[in-house]
Amino acid sequence: MPEVSKMKKPDVKVVLLGDMNVGKTSLLHRYTERKFKDTISTVGGAFFLKQWGPYNISIWDTAGREQFHGLGSMYCRGAAAVILTYDVTNWQSLAELEERFLSLTDTANHDCIYAVVGNKADLTDPNAQLYQDSNVAPEDQTECEEERPEPQVLSACPTPPASPASLSGSVLHKQVAPEDAVAFYGRILRYKGLDEKSSLPAEKMCFETSAKTGYNVDTLFEALFDLVLPSILRKRNENQESPTVDLEECRGASNKRARSSCC
Amino acid sequence: MERDNHQEGVAEGVKICDPPAESNPPADTLATSLSLLGNHMFPDPVERNYGTTVNREEPVDSLLSDVSAEEPSLNAESHSNQVTKLETEETESPECQNNVATQPSDRGAQDAATDSDQGDSGEFVVTMLAKAKLEEQGLGMKGRSSPLLEAGTEEYPAFMSHRDEDVTADSWRQHRKHVFVLSEAGKPIYSRYGSEEALSSTMGVMMALVSFVQSGDNIIRSVYSEENTVVFLQKGPLVLVCVSSSRQSERQLRGELLYVYYQIISMLTQASISRIFEHKKNYDLRRLLAGSEKILDGLLNLVDSDPSFLLAAVHCLPLASSLRDSLSQILQKAITPNLVFSILIARNQLLTIVQEKTVIEDTRLEPADVHLLLNLIGASSAFQAGEIWTPICLPLFNPDCYFYAYISYLDPPECTVCLLLLSTDKEAFYSVAECKRKIEEAMVAQNSLSLIAKVQSYSVSQVGVSDLRHFMYKPFDVPDNYRQLTQFTSPEMEAPYSSEEEKMRLLDLYRYMHSRIHSTSRPLKLIYHVAERETLLAWVTSKFELYTCFSPLVTKACAITAITKLLRWIKKEEDRLFIRYPPKYSTTPNPSKSSRGGKSDQQDSTDNGFLSLL
Repeated sequence: MPEVSKMKKPDVKVVLLGDMNVGKTSLLHRYTERKFKDTISTVGGAFFLKQWGPYNISIWDTAGREQFHGLGSMYCRGAAAVILTYDVTNWQSLAELEERFLSLTDTANHDCIYAVVGNKADLTDPNAQLYQDSNVAPEDQTECEEERPEPQVLSACPTPPASPASLSGSVLHKQVAPEDAVAFYGRILRYKGLDEKSSLPAEKMCFETSAKTGYNVDTLFEALFDLVLPSILRKRNENQESPTVDLEECRGASNKRARSSCC
Repeated sequence: MERDNHQEGVAEGVKICDPPAESNPPADTLATSLSLLGNHMFPDPVERNYGTTVNREEPVDSLLSDVSAEEPSLNAESHSNQVTKLETEETESPECQNNVATQPSDRGAQDAATDSDQGDSGEFVVTMLAKAKLEEQGLGMKGRSSPLLEAGTEEYPAFMSHRDEDVTADSWRQHRKHVFVLSEAGKPIYSRYGSEEALSSTMGVMMALVSFVQSGDNIIRSVYSEENTVVFLQKGPLVLVCVSSSRQSERQLRGELLYVYYQIISMLTQASISRIFEHKKNYDLRRLLAGSEKILDGLLNLVDSDPSFLLAAVHCLPLASSLRDSLSQILQKAITPNLVFSILIARNQLLTIVQEKTVIEDTRLEPADVHLLLNLIGASSAFQAGEIWTPICLPLFNPDCYFYAYISYLDPPECTVCLLLLSTDKEAFYSVAECKRKIEEAMVAQNSLSLIAKVQSYSVSQVGVSDLRHFMYKPFDVPDNYRQLTQFTSPEMEAPYSSEEEKMRLLDLYRYMHSRIHSTSRPLKLIYHVAERETLLAWVTSKFELYTCFSPLVTKACAITAITKLLRWIKKEEDRLFIRYPPKYSTTPNPSKSSRGGKSDQQDSTDNGFLSLL
C-alpha cells in the first residue's frame, strides 16, 4: 500500500475556475466518471488525482461561489494549466471570469497555459445536444452502455427534470459567442504580459463543451494534458538533475508564511 | 451510588412533577384572549403574581392526577397547554426586565420577553393582537400575498425540488416546520420550502412585525395560533423565523433556529456578516450563500430526525475501547504544524477525536460545532471522490475566524468512513493531505477499515431489560470528564419504531418530555408519562439526563427498576459507548505564543475574500 502514496505524487497541477453553476464539477465528473449527474455546489475546493499515462495530474475543482474566493490563489499556486469556465447561456459568467477569477491566477506558474471553456453548449447547440459520448470511445464497454440511456432519454422525452432548457424543448438563447471567448483569451494574454505570437493560439485554447452530453469534454482535457506535458517533463528533468525541488518547495512555503503574517 | 441518587431523585420527582395546577382564573381568561399572541406584553402586576405563585400552587389531588394529567396525547392537547406556555413565558419576564433596562439594544436581549412601558402596554397589547392576527392571515394566505407572477418568471436552479414549490399551494402551507431567514432590511435569505423570491412579501410581513414591536422597545419572541407556533430569533443583522405545527416548545424551536444561524455563521463568520451589513444594509446575502441552501436543508432535516440536536450532545459510534484507542493513536501520530483537530467519522457518528494540546487546555469542541461539521460532511457527500479543502468557522469556538477543513473519505467508493482534519493555516492543504496518507497507511496496516465496517450500533435488547424499547442517555460534566465533549448514547430504533413515521412519533414524544423537563417555569426532575402506545420516563439528575421508552403497560415501579438495571449496564459499557479520554497532540511550534488555536488565524478572517465585496 505504500505504493499508493508514492504513486500519488502529482506531477502537474490543473485548476478549474469559474462562476458558480457554470458546471466545473460536472465537467470534471464527466471526464473522470464518464457520467453526468446532479452535483451539489462545491464547498471550498476539491482535489483530485488523475492518472494520465505515466503521469499524475492533480486537478483542483474549485467553488465558484464568492464565499470561497479567499482560497482561490491558494488553489492556483503553481498551476500549470487553468481552465476558465463560463456558461454559454450566461453572459455574466464570462464577465465574472475577467472580474473575479483572472486575478486569482497570479500565483500560477509563469508558463501556465489558459483554456477558456464555454460549458452547457447542449443548451444552445444542436450538435452538442445530440452528441453521444460513446462515439469518443471510452475504453470500457460497460461504461458505454451506462452512458447511452441518457441521450436517449433526452430525445425520447423532452422533459427530463434536470434541465430547464429541455423542459421548454427549445434551444436557449446563446449569450456568449465563440468570438467573445477568443477576445477574452486575448485579454488574458495581455493581462499576463504574454506575446500573442509566441503563446498558444486562441483557436486552440477556446472550447465549447457540454458536460451533460460529453461534447468536447475529452477533447478539452486531453488537449490540455498534451500541452502541459512539456511542463511535466521539464519538472521531471529538474528533479533528476538535482534535489532542488524540495528546497524550492520549502522556499515557496516560507514565502507564503511571510506573506500571510505581514498582512 | 447510582442507587442513592435514584431514590432521592424519585422522591424529588414526585414532588415536583405534579401536573400544572389548572391556572388562576385571571390568567386563564387572559390566556384565551391572548392565545394568539405570546403573552410577552402582559401588564406587570398579573405577571408578577402569577409567576411567583404558579410553582407552588398544587391541588391536593395532584398525586393522583399525576398520570392522567400527562395522558392526553400530544395531538389532543389544547387549552391547558397554551396556559402552560404562558407560564413559561411569564416567569421569564421579570428577570428579563433588568436586561432591558440596562441594555435595551443589546443583541443578547433577544432572549428576553420584554415589557417596557407599563403605561401604554394595554394599548400595545391590543394593537399587537390585531397585528398578530394580521400576521396569522398573512401566514395562512401567503399565496395571495406573494404573486404568482414572481414565481413564474423565477429562474429556478434546475435540480432543487422544493425550491420550485408553489408557495400558494395547500401542500406548502402544510409543511410541519417552515424556517425563514431574512435580513433586517427584510430581504429574504433562506426559506426551507419554496423560493425566497416568491416569498419576499411574506418575509416583508415578518420583518414588519419584528420592527413594529421593536419600535416600542420590545422584542417579538413568538406568536401562537391554534395550529402553529411562530418563533422569532434576531441575531445581529439576521432575523430567523420558524413556523411550526410540530408542537415543540418555543425554546426548542428557538434552539433550532440558533443552529440555522450557526450554520450560516460557519460558512461566512459573524464578523464578515456584520461587516457586510454595516456597509450595505440591504445587501443580498444570498449572493454569498447561494449554493449553501442544501447545507441548510440538510441541517433542518437532521434537526428533525436526529436527537443529538435536541440533547446538544454528540452521538459516537460504540466501539471496543482497544479499537478506538488504536484509531486515536493513528490520528495522534499523523500531525503537521497548525493542525488542531483530527476527527474520524463513520456513518455520521464520531469514531474518535484528537485535539491539539493547547486548544484542549483552553477550551473544548462544543457539540453544536461538531453537529455543523457532521452536517457539512453529510451535505457535501454527493461528490465524494476528491479531497476537499474549505474554510469553515466553528461558531461556538470562535464565531469570527475560519478554520480550514480537510475532508476526505477513507473507503471509496463506499464512503462511510470520513476523515476530517482542521488546520488554522489556509495554505496547509498539502501537508494536511500528507497526514491523511499517513493515516491511510496506518489504517491499512492495522486493518482498521474492515474492523470499523463490522461495527454496529447496538440493540436495546443487549441491555437485557424486557420492557425497555429505547432510551437516550446523556452524562453530564462531572469532574471525571470535565472538558470532554458532551456525548449521549442511544440504541438503534427498532420495531415498533422502524418506520419513519414511528421514529418521528417517538422523537416527538422525547421532544415533549424534554420540553417538560426543561420547562423554564417548572423544570422537572422526573416525569412518568403514559402515552397512547408506550410509556415514557425521563429523569434528570446532577450526573445525567435520561429518556426511556417502555412498552405501554409498564408500571412506574417496574420502569424504575428497569432504569436501575439500565444505568448499571451503561456504567459497565461506558468505555465502549463513549469517547472517554480524548487524546491530544501538540502541533503548535510555539505554544506560549498562541494558547488558543483559533485565535491564531484572526488575520485570516479579513483575508477571505470579503474585503473585495465592500
